[in-house]
Amino acid sequence: MANRITIDPITRIEGHLRIDVEVDNNAVSNAWASCTMWRGIENILKGRDPRDAWLFTQRFCGVCTTVHAMASVRSVEDALKLQVPLNAQYIRNLILIAHALHDHIVHFYQLSALDWVDVLQIPKADIGATTKLAESISPWTRNSREEFQAAQDRVKAVAASGQLGIFMNGYWGHPAMRLSPEVNLLAFTHYVQALEYQRKALQVVGILGGKTPHIQNLTVGGVANAIDLDSTSALDMDKLEMIRELLSEVVRFVNEVYFIDVCAVASMYPDWFKIGKGVNNYLAVPDLPLDSAGSSYDLPGGYIMNGNIGGVHTFKTAADKDFRDGVSEDVAHAYYHGDKPLHPYKGVTDPDFTGWNGDQKYSWVKAPRFNGAPMQVGPLAQVLVGFAQGHALTKKYAVKAIDTIGAVGHFQVTPGMLESTLGRHGARAIRCAMLGELAQKHLGLLIDNVAKGDYSVHNVPVFPSGEVEGVGTHEAPRGTLSHWIVVKDGKIKNYQAVVPSTWNASPRDASGAHGPYEASLLHTPLAKPEEPLEVLRTIHSFDPCMACACHTFDASGRQIAKVKIL
Amino acid sequence: MKRILIGGIGNVLLGDDGVGPYVARLLAAHYEFEEGVEVIDLGTPALDLIDQLSANEAVILIDSVHADADPGTVLLYRKADIMRHAPSVRMDPHSPALVDALLSAELFGVAPADVLLVGIQGESFEPSCSLTKTVKASLDQLIAEVMSELDRLGVKHCRRNQPIDLGIWWASEEQLESPVAL
Repeated sequence: MANRITIDPITRIEGHLRIDVEVDNNAVSNAWASCTMWRGIENILKGRDPRDAWLFTQRFCGVCTTVHAMASVRSVEDALKLQVPLNAQYIRNLILIAHALHDHIVHFYQLSALDWVDVLQIPKADIGATTKLAESISPWTRNSREEFQAAQDRVKAVAASGQLGIFMNGYWGHPAMRLSPEVNLLAFTHYVQALEYQRKALQVVGILGGKTPHIQNLTVGGVANAIDLDSTSALDMDKLEMIRELLSEVVRFVNEVYFIDVCAVASMYPDWFKIGKGVNNYLAVPDLPLDSAGSSYDLPGGYIMNGNIGGVHTFKTAADKDFRDGVSEDVAHAYYHGDKPLHPYKGVTDPDFTGWNGDQKYSWVKAPRFNGAPMQVGPLAQVLVGFAQGHALTKKYAVKAIDTIGAVGHFQVTPGMLESTLGRHGARAIRCAMLGELAQKHLGLLIDNVAKGDYSVHNVPVFPSGEVEGVGTHEAPRGTLSHWIVVKDGKIKNYQAVVPSTWNASPRDASGAHGPYEASLLHTPLAKPEEPLEVLRTIHSFDPCMACACHTFDASGRQIAKVKIL
Repeated sequence: MKRILIGGIGNVLLGDDGVGPYVARLLAAHYEFEEGVEVIDLGTPALDLIDQLSANEAVILIDSVHADADPGTVLLYRKADIMRHAPSVRMDPHSPALVDALLSAELFGVAPADVLLVGIQGESFEPSCSLTKTVKASLDQLIAEVMSELDRLGVKHCRRNQPIDLGIWWASEEQLESPVAL
């Protein structure tokens, strides 16, 4: 007889995601991913000026503000066939990269590392052995005895006080935790250091975007940054130098710490390269445009069906016709009225709440499909698509990751092993290293272009009478994001956002096909079903962000069951 | 110079959840503060709130709360009150990133010494760009609490003779026509 376990919610940032699994013989036999809250924010946009839409979409989510702003202006530009000046492309690309560097570092250290790192083992670590281990895998100069000692002392003080604070809910001592005390200390020390570097990445967003958390410099047709290399009130040489310095520090942290830590942790958990594969259809859109028209990109896009790497399809542009035509949303198992999948331009959001019923409707998330199939999105999809296409930068860092994991763990790693829970972490580190290199490239492109005397940052949008439609895409930290807009006589007639976590947290569709989270959990072994750490590991590897909604402080202090076993 | 953050938290697209950003803009438009005081619309931050917390010696946050109180009730929480909560994410749609961020900042030894959350029990969190009348009626009291905390901290503030533009771009026309009495 299978036991049902409900985990509600699962994401460490912002709630709303609920996972139900059936457990048979200590392994997951069935799974449901659901979202517990309806947003419907898109309806607020109807009737508004398309030029203002990005200000509103930027408020969809407190974590992913920048990405929704960018996809929005791109959707309007696509509808108007409006080109974007080179400087604006480079400035936007730098903002997107800096945001992603921040996001990936935060994801690993603040949201996922503690699924693998047992904090309460840290007091047992030998400082000398930790220092020796660290020196053997990375040139990072802050891998010093002093830093390790300070981090260990901090944990000892917390443990001694009995007030675990932020660590209150960890599954410490769980049988699935397998790192040595020294590796635990190494990772924890970097968790503390990561705070400094994630902040530096955000500073870059702030310098270019005017402000964080909500950038101010976007405009349909370009950016609002004034460029003048000699004026302190504009984007000048001092600010560009400051950006260069900040980026170089963040990139060093990514290459010498984050990338290495992911490989080191992965090398200690080889079985997790066999767990968590799930849906092996992968989707990514091209991003980081290199020209005004958006005809060449630094990040490749395309799709792979049924894990057939050799049969990869390529998207030539960020709004490729194949992508544009292929997307639909199914509501057979979602709390909405509707009897057939609809294209986002025709999307309807008409709620039909029935309560959770695993055989019928059970989620507020619609089921996005590409050519009728569920798709996994995110860094893994992007890395696989790039690898399959022979994209040089992707291959460079994928090979580096594979070699590093193999060297530390003494086992053979193959590209196919990336299709797993740990593979998703590895792919995120690979993408982050790629973005680090691209950050410096795009800063150089911007400076070179300005040096030629091109100060142009904006083309003026002109709205035709009648109806036009467009899609704005962005390969966001969590995967393919698309905003779909229909404009009539200069006003928004319809607006739909198909976000990465909708693809990955999708419920079943009319044919019964599982979404990626659901499929990835099947057959996962659970050492202690009452502490389903293994389920968390796989879900967190996708980097869920269901939030995009309310943010109020729950002062009632009620303890809500995190895990319930029926 | 003391570094003080006055931050409004909330989603301006979800009714009364927008009270924090709204009040942040009211304060910036109607008041001047001594150097070192920063008034920010923080939106709906997650753990990046750690950065905002750690950069300041005192933090005053304005947010809607769920507290089993009547809508419009203004409630105050000090640092210890906030840190008493478990850091787990909750089932209800309201993220406790504030709790997580403060607990993390404390662990890393970078938390501000003074934290005050000026909360207000919301009435409606449905998608909308307006505050309810109930919440608006309590805004004067909410702002008075912020000022009294500044006094306690010894931070100078005064009313502007000429308010600057509110910059509440999300509000409906109806809302802008009946701004809060200040």
